[in-house]
Amino acid sequence: MGLEVDIIFKIAGVGIVVAFLHTVLDQVGKKEYAQWVTLFGFIYILFQVATIVDDLFQKIKSVFLFQ
Amino acid sequence: MMKLIGAVFIIVATTWTGMEASRHLSERPRQLRQLKSALQSLEAEIMFGHTPLHEASRRLATQLSKPLSKLFEVFAKKLMYSETTVKKAWEESLTEIWKLTALKQGEFEIMKQFGETLGRHDRISQQKQIMLTLTHLEREERDAIDKQVKYEKMVKSLGFLLGLLLIILFI
Repeated sequence: MGLEVDIIFKIAGVGIVVAFLHTVLDQVGKKEYAQWVTLFGFIYILFQVATIVDDLFQKIKSVFLFQ
Repeated sequence: MMKLIGAVFIIVATTWTGMEASRHLSERPRQLRQLKSALQSLEAEIMFGHTPLHEASRRLATQLSKPLSKLFEVFAKKLMYSETTVKKAWEESLTEIWKLTALKQGEFEIMKQFGETLGRHDRISQQKQIMLTLTHLEREERDAIDKQVKYEKMVKSLGFLLGLLLIILFI
């Protein structure tokens, strides 16, 4: 359980920081950089979530389709 | 515990980088202003004092503050103690000093062009040349102030936020 809470906090932290970066870059008119930052943050989190979901599927597989 | 120390190191380093960059941005208009007032005093020395160039630049060196005073100091020394032309001495002292200032390539070109005219004409055309350089510097100063207003805060917060992001990614 500890691991899951950790990962949630991590995702939240990345989200907050990326949002701040986006606003700061947006204010000075660097819109393209802001979008790149957001995109990279999103991709990073997507990878994290994909690995966790993969774990979940493996577990389901091992429960229902026991070889 | 180790993680915490590392996190503190990272955040200090990135914040410091941001501060340094913003200091660089705020230093540039200040030094441009100083450069302008230096040229104005040089004009006064030439027009009203009839001072020789090395004497005038030595006086300017005592009047100005740190990075720019060095320029005139080096220039005066080169004029007095070595066998060069004014143009060469000016250019050499400019390149020598440029790393210590927050000024950019545009100003460097302007000052280099100014050095090419220095000491080759009579007083009136010298005054005109100084005026021309002053207007060029004015334009650069406006540009520098614009940049400062726009980017100073951004660079500061960018440094801090980047540190925070790195910490979150590494933990």
